[in-house]
Amino acid sequence: MRRYLAFRILQLPLILAAIYLLTFFLTWVVPGSPFDKDDKVSDKLAMKLMAQRFHADQWQSFLAYYPLRIVRGDFGQSMQYSDWSVTDIVKSALPISMALGLFALSIATVAGVGIGVLAAVKRGGIWDFLSLTIALVGISVPSFVVASALLLFFCVRHPWFAISRCESIADLILPGIALALLPMAYITRLTRVAMLDVLSSDFVRTARAKGLSRAAVIWKHCLKHALLPVFTYLGPAAAATLTGSFVVETVFNIPGLGQHFVNSVRNKDQTLILAVVMIYSTLLLVLNLLVDIGYSLLDPRISVQEKAAS
Amino acid sequence: MARLLIIPVVLLALLTGAMIWSRGDAQPRADFVYVNQDEVGTLDPRGMSWTQDLRLSYALWEGLWRLDPVSMKPVPGTADRIELSPDRRTYTLHIRENARWSNGDPVLAGDFVFAWRRMLEQPGNYGYLFHYVEGAQRYKQAFADNAPCDFEAVGIRAVDPHTLRVTLAHPVVFFADLGALPPFFPMHEPSMRKFHVVDSATGRVSYDARFTRPPNLVTNGPYRLEAWEFRRKIRLVASDHYWNKAAVKCRTIDVLNFSDARTALLKYETGGVDWLSEINDIDASDLIARGRTDVHVFPGFGTSFYALNCLPRLPDGRSNPLADVRVRRALVMAIDKRPIVQNVARLNQPIATSFVPPGAFEHYIPPAGSPFDPKQARGLLAEAKHAGGEGLSTLSILYNESTENALVAQIIRKQWLDTLGVRAELSPIEAKIFRHRVRTRNYDLSRASWVGDYNDVSTFLDKFRSDSDNNQTGWSNPRYDQLCQRAAEEPDLRRRLQLYREAEQILCDEAPIIPLYHYVSCYLYRDNVRGLALDPRGMLMFHALEVRRP
Repeated sequence: MRRYLAFRILQLPLILAAIYLLTFFLTWVVPGSPFDKDDKVSDKLAMKLMAQRFHADQWQSFLAYYPLRIVRGDFGQSMQYSDWSVTDIVKSALPISMALGLFALSIATVAGVGIGVLAAVKRGGIWDFLSLTIALVGISVPSFVVASALLLFFCVRHPWFAISRCESIADLILPGIALALLPMAYITRLTRVAMLDVLSSDFVRTARAKGLSRAAVIWKHCLKHALLPVFTYLGPAAAATLTGSFVVETVFNIPGLGQHFVNSVRNKDQTLILAVVMIYSTLLLVLNLLVDIGYSLLDPRISVQEKAAS
Repeated sequence: MARLLIIPVVLLALLTGAMIWSRGDAQPRADFVYVNQDEVGTLDPRGMSWTQDLRLSYALWEGLWRLDPVSMKPVPGTADRIELSPDRRTYTLHIRENARWSNGDPVLAGDFVFAWRRMLEQPGNYGYLFHYVEGAQRYKQAFADNAPCDFEAVGIRAVDPHTLRVTLAHPVVFFADLGALPPFFPMHEPSMRKFHVVDSATGRVSYDARFTRPPNLVTNGPYRLEAWEFRRKIRLVASDHYWNKAAVKCRTIDVLNFSDARTALLKYETGGVDWLSEINDIDASDLIARGRTDVHVFPGFGTSFYALNCLPRLPDGRSNPLADVRVRRALVMAIDKRPIVQNVARLNQPIATSFVPPGAFEHYIPPAGSPFDPKQARGLLAEAKHAGGEGLSTLSILYNESTENALVAQIIRKQWLDTLGVRAELSPIEAKIFRHRVRTRNYDLSRASWVGDYNDVSTFLDKFRSDSDNNQTGWSNPRYDQLCQRAAEEPDLRRRLQLYREAEQILCDEAPIIPLYHYVSCYLYRDNVRGLALDPRGMLMFHALEVRRP
């Protein structure tokens, strides 16, 4: 176990370095200059000076300057918003996205697992139908439709919530719901399928035959097993949700990190692109590692080595 | 089971922690609230080029001249007495004794010298505006080339702490307009000193961008920068040291950031915002159709047009049919621009037949340009031996991807096919790549727009001079260049405008561009807001703003 963990942890910086180089290469080959900010041609001298200031006049100087600083947590200045360092931007945006993402993930997990279990237990009943509806709506209705509908109904038609305010947990409710719908749909389906599988297994029948109550069997014995696929899904889902969503943040005007995933590329803001990519990759890798470790905690039958061997 | 409960508990704890970490704090609403559609690019006047940055800078700084809040014409600002030499080349500017920085320091002539010198040594996008100053262009170039250069040779001098002397290369009738622009604002060197960055190779000094962030930024305008939260808002508070602080009506101003125009509109509709300076044309026309009186449409300071590649050969080496002026004129005259304005732009924009917006400059009347005339268009095309589009390859219309650009291109393609038999294809492309292609002249026809910077016809017509980086058509006409140069140096206003009119006539006749329509601007504000000028350039004198609340 320990050796495997050490191996996985040692892998992290290598994978991150590869991702950095690949992203850097892609941002470098895309035509257009990050300093070319409007239709007018800027003073050529000004452009040259800007490129020099950002160590972006040649790819070698960029690679020589930035990677070492990133290790120390300094991503350099943003090329688009030149008064701000990328670190400042991330510091102001990431907590908001994380708060929103955690909220959405909590809703998605709690509601998704709950409904999924009920759907499996009362197979063919109203709960099953509800779970199917949630899954269908969650997966097929795009988040900008949900977000716009929520905004129109709860902020304009019935002004119970303020538009675009990010000051208290109440302000996270609407965007949280919009963001939670998709993972909730997946979790509901995953739980339902896994639960059906477990419910028909021998040990459940034995437990019931021994006289254990139905509720105890479902919540104590079955759920643990049924949660495994959900748990697998939670790793990447958490990385995606915690780093924000472009659409939901734009509609609700939330100053989170999600919009930078799209806008930094649009602006060719190389320093910011690299920062958001590195943050996302790190989160994804770490969360996947945590999921693997979590497996062995949830189900002692699975050891981390076994999983690695398979 | 208990172990499972840990998950929601941990999630809740993390959520609370993140919420505290993100420092969401409630602040009372400012006296005046308006919206910027993107985050400010920079608050360093040296690097500004976006309208919203330039506009905001008028709240924070004041140049030697400022703009009258109603007429938006230059009036004395930080300088109260201004003398012009008989040869109209030397300005002697006396700075007000009571002009103060937001930290209470007096504003001195040296602050202007410092800022302007910095503009030459580390030029921003508007560095070229200093070329009117004697010796400035030479100094700027020499400094950039690391060649020997002497600032003494530049016509910018602090005669005494309160007197600045500026010598121009030739008389510039609109120098007062320039002097009111952000690149000409003074800078407070002592507060920037601690942000010195010395280049180890050259020993040259630049400034870490953090000097623009509160509380570091010291300014001399009616407001000071109180807070700046990235992508959330900027708060301005009236400066206690501004020389004209009695005229400042709103104590606090909030500049909110909305990346989505629709959400910004909803915020306005629910009363959270006093002024929307940008609104979708579609939304604006809908509101007008509903009889709303808070929609204010007024002439803009720009023109939407198509640029034609006039180089003899296309990028792939084929000979370029658009190099023939008759083909270009045929394409211009085959377009009926009414459907573009009525169905796409929608705000009753004036149809353009020439480049400079009519009425944008006092006493300047642009030439009539080419009208919509299908018959003459067909004749010209036949004359160029391409009757019915024969022998013409399919033209590619390049534009940066947007619904509006696509619709305009579709209308034009259909009209060319119906009227001339000329085939065209649409080439939508991402904005940065679009600019790259246009700049490298790798296109047949491209969507284009131009918005003027300062209050002189040259801000439009200089674009098509052969030596202009902004002339991306490959079109060059020595007579045009000569007329523009003569006009620039001509001190007599009437004669100048006549020279510019002759130049624009050449532009219309040779048709390197197809003017489509002149822009209009659209503001949304209720009638409790006073002092908001409908300025074509989108600028605003914040001290005159007033909001009457019940």
